[in-house]
Amino acid sequence: MLRAIIDNLKGLYSLLVGLSITGRFLLSPQRTVHYPRQVVAPESLASFRGPLELVPSADDPAKTRCISCQMCVRACPDNCLKVVKGEGGKAPAVWVYDFSLCCLCAACVEACPASALRFSHKVYLTALTRDELKLDLLADLKARAAKAAGGADARPPAQPPAGLEPQARL
Amino acid sequence: MSGLGFINPFGVRELPGTTTGDFYTANFAQKAQPGRVILNLGPQHPSTHGVLRILAEMEGEYVWRAEPVLGYLHRMHERMAEVKTPQQFLPNMGRVDYLHPLAWNWAYVGAVEKLAGLEPPERAQWLRTLSCELNRISSHLLWWGAFVMDLGGVTPILYAFEEREKINDILQIITGSRLTMSYFRLGGVCADADDRFLALTREFVPYLRERLKMYRGLVTDNVILRRRLEGVGPIDVDMCRRYGATGPVLRAAGSPNDLRRDVPYGTYPQHDFWPATGFPDDCFGRYLVRLAEIESSLDIVEQAVRGLPPGPIMVDKPPKANFKMPAGETYFAVEGARGQVGVHLVSDGGKNPYRVKLRAPGFSNLSLFAEAAQGTLLADAVAILGSLDLVIPEIDR
Ligand code: SF4
Ligand code: SF4
Repeated sequence: MLRAIIDNLKGLYSLLVGLSITGRFLLSPQRTVHYPRQVVAPESLASFRGPLELVPSADDPAKTRCISCQMCVRACPDNCLKVVKGEGGKAPAVWVYDFSLCCLCAACVEACPASALRFSHKVYLTALTRDELKLDLLADLKARAAKAAGGADARPPAQPPAGLEPQARL
Repeated sequence: MSGLGFINPFGVRELPGTTTGDFYTANFAQKAQPGRVILNLGPQHPSTHGVLRILAEMEGEYVWRAEPVLGYLHRMHERMAEVKTPQQFLPNMGRVDYLHPLAWNWAYVGAVEKLAGLEPPERAQWLRTLSCELNRISSHLLWWGAFVMDLGGVTPILYAFEEREKINDILQIITGSRLTMSYFRLGGVCADADDRFLALTREFVPYLRERLKMYRGLVTDNVILRRRLEGVGPIDVDMCRRYGATGPVLRAAGSPNDLRRDVPYGTYPQHDFWPATGFPDDCFGRYLVRLAEIESSLDIVEQAVRGLPPGPIMVDKPPKANFKMPAGETYFAVEGARGQVGVHLVSDGGKNPYRVKLRAPGFSNLSLFAEAAQGTLLADAVAILGSLDLVIPEIDR
């Protein structure tokens, strides 16, 4: 009988301890990042693997270092890369990357002999269709170069797919 | 079929000459006794962690018979291993068990290295231990939160997530991702630890030790949790042996089996830790074992940060894209957060392995559920299910 009472009192005490911990945390500052009002600090994205991007060559930020050797295409387990060599020279004419298939494994980055690939830190990329995730990396490289040169963003503004008007997207 | 007294919980009309439900339900219901209710838990149910389905024959509130139905998350990982080179298959391993991906990384890389005779450099080995243990802690933390949530306490998982996010931040520095990590490479690891990584890890160890004390006050000592778990679902060593259960389930049953000690691999022989045992064999024991393992993993992490030697992180000649394994057969197992993670690899000397068998600890741990849940209350069966720490993608592969 006495034992049961003591057990129950101990139990009650344990509940009070738990409640006091919860209470303490209730009054402590917020721990979460309220996206989109807040975003994480850029340094915490330093090595985050976002969609691939091409590394610009040392002399021209709009030019790629890629030599169209196809090593990345062959290394990729998901077949998400397409590199087509351009006329004359080694520079690629087409560099398409399907982000919807990519598993961010870095096999392509590690296979590239020219160190022409790296991961971007675009964590806020969104798309409504799969086709929007087929990224043209050459265009992306040019846009980045234009932006860095001080010009406006060279990319056309993203168009909503047909049938989905901007108001409907909220 | 009316003789079965089959009651359909979802109100689907019974067609003449058939039982309601699919093949599994119909098959399961055949052995049901009159007056019993067949209950479907899952495949989409908050208490089953992903798409696991449990069929239970209920006598009132008591589970008379239970049977797990698997395969809803089968993704043919073993087949994929046969059609891809080892390097290309590596990212799959992070997807098999998304809570402890680095153990699976290690199991596969270890199997290939064992067959090909590759010996990763010292620093890579230490980094493997370090990252794998950090990952184990994050896996146990998530289990802790999810288990308590199964039992009806919704808040603790949010505390667990705070720590988990910290570990993710740390692991992201070297692995580049936060969930399905693919960090190990044949012959080493893919990125070196920088100062930020080491500093954050050093900071994290005492921080989590403090937090574990808070966990104790918040959950472990809580009378509601104790009365809910103590004495529920005893699983003894014999039952573990019959079903092949490993990991914390086996250690809670009282057997100190831990591959990190029994079949040492990597740098574990150089670490000072002891498998957590000496707990009761019920749900509460399995709860305590995992919390104790977080602490022992913290010790290993601390030792690994202190002892991390300088040097390369990759063998001199890393395997190229045209790498061919020698013909042969090998098995390599590591201790994952849920138990023995094994890879049985058969190679015929070609670019792709001939056959890869993945041994998922969760599969064996789940197998004993049918026996352990027999005769328990339904609510206790959910507690047993939670205490097994199941990750369904790993079970279904
Ligand atoms: S990261 Fe992996 S999946 Fe993605 S493009 Fe590169 S090789 Fe392919
Ligand atoms: S491996 Fe590098 S250089 Fe070769 S095609 Fe790919 S990106 Fe270009």
